[in-house]
Amino acid sequence: MSVDGTTLELAPRSTRSDLLEEARRGGRLGRRLVVVLVALIAAGVIAQAFYVVQARPEDLITGAHGMADLLSRAMPPAWSEIGDILWPSLETIDLAIFGTLFGVLMALPLAVLAASNVTPARPLYYLARGVIALTRAVPDLVWALLFVTAVGLGPFPGALALSVHSIGMLGRLFSEVIEDMDFGPVEALTLTGASRLQVFAHAVVPGVLPSLLGISLYRFDENLRSSLVLGFVGAGGLGFQLLTAMNLFQYQTVSLLLVATFLLVMAAERGSALLRRQVA
Amino acid sequence: MSAALGDTAPGAETRLAVRGLRMRFPNGKLALDGVDLTVSAGELVTILGSNGSGKTTLLRCVARLLDPSEGEVLVDGQDLARLNGEALRKARLALAMVFQRANLVRRRSVLANVASGTLGRNRTWRTALGGLPPEELPLARELLRKVGVEQLGGQRADTLSGGQAQRAAIARALAQRPKLVLADEPVASLDPEAAEEIMRLLRQLAVESGLAVLCVLHQPALALRYSHRVVGLRDGVVAFDLRAEFCADQQIALLYKDIAA
Repeated sequence: MSVDGTTLELAPRSTRSDLLEEARRGGRLGRRLVVVLVALIAAGVIAQAFYVVQARPEDLITGAHGMADLLSRAMPPAWSEIGDILWPSLETIDLAIFGTLFGVLMALPLAVLAASNVTPARPLYYLARGVIALTRAVPDLVWALLFVTAVGLGPFPGALALSVHSIGMLGRLFSEVIEDMDFGPVEALTLTGASRLQVFAHAVVPGVLPSLLGISLYRFDENLRSSLVLGFVGAGGLGFQLLTAMNLFQYQTVSLLLVATFLLVMAAERGSALLRRQVA
Repeated sequence: MSAALGDTAPGAETRLAVRGLRMRFPNGKLALDGVDLTVSAGELVTILGSNGSGKTTLLRCVARLLDPSEGEVLVDGQDLARLNGEALRKARLALAMVFQRANLVRRRSVLANVASGTLGRNRTWRTALGGLPPEELPLARELLRKVGVEQLGGQRADTLSGGQAQRAAIARALAQRPKLVLADEPVASLDPEAAEEIMRLLRQLAVESGLAVLCVLHQPALALRYSHRVVGLRDGVVAFDLRAEFCADQQIALLYKDIAA
């Protein structure tokens, strides 16, 4: 007897239960087959990844000499140039500040539209979701490339890139916070006869503000790290200095820049973690 | 025996009159099947009924949190069932609601929470942007004193105990200067002692401030002790509507019995 859908539909009740029993017994065998199949596919996927990335462990071993050479040439860091990197460091920090600030300002209204429980109209909801998805899906590095083409080299395209990408990241998290919010106070205030705007200002905002601040601080930390990479495509800051120094084989400058980068990232991480604990 | 029937005492002003209220949910379930009910000024009326008897649905229909399918809901003479938009918002100012949970804004002060009950009549730019009407703060303090938690005004709302929070929520409802207070199982999440205190407070509001209070309860004992009148609801129909002292235990027990029994 064949076990396709039509036969099952037509089979009388007794035969159908027999079929089910058979299917259950067959299920155990089938599950084992599936496990083997999945294992084989996984092995295949991993093997092709090794092949495609041209993994050659022996090169890593022979290359150790080159690495050591590079490190020795990078030591000690060019401490004397510390004055020259102060400005690029400030540029990097300001990129993160600008990117986070404008990201937050743009993401807030979008998040309100994109939260299914407070959105004023369905079309706006889908529009906002679309904008958030688009700005999020395109990496900030790509946005930076686009903006460098549009407004030229320098920190400004980097700041724009961070802003746009932050809109997407923040918009999504903000709208989730709004969707998870406690709706009791909102209902209670609505019933007192308060207007929509009053309910929003008096019940929604106090309910979600701490989470929004925490997310924004975390975003600042991420933006600082991103802004370093953005320099590589000509968007200013420490990253741009790093690229230049690498191209000029000034390895001692490179190591100084790496130290500065490390310190900045650590400071931002610690600082934002500390502030987040304060607002929680 | 006519004194036992749930007629409003002569002379008292009728604050809520529900007539022929029917509520059929979109899934076809008939939750309310022609409910008639009145509540007058100075009166605490309790609705009793088992789960699914329609008592919460009735309250939500009165507040127009649900749209009744048929019937009238006259609050202070205006039919809420027929109003919409701005007219509904205005008419609803006469009606305040207390919930099972206090539903305070947890990160704001207790005083700010109470003052936010006055937003409906203070529609200014300042209040739309999150400010509180300063001229209402004395009223908010006065109400906190009235419900017995005046010393907690400066604390954040999430530091209050369940009973204190419910008192603050009642103060917020009063800040609205309502004529009718609806309470949806206001003591369900409180310990017995706090429950008694909240019921005492609700009765006091009816007797001393002349409010009309309509309360849904799960505890028959509390209902009999504190209300003036008890309405038994069963399968969306009013089973009895009697002054509390005339309610027999048998009648109440019948409410909670299975239909099949």
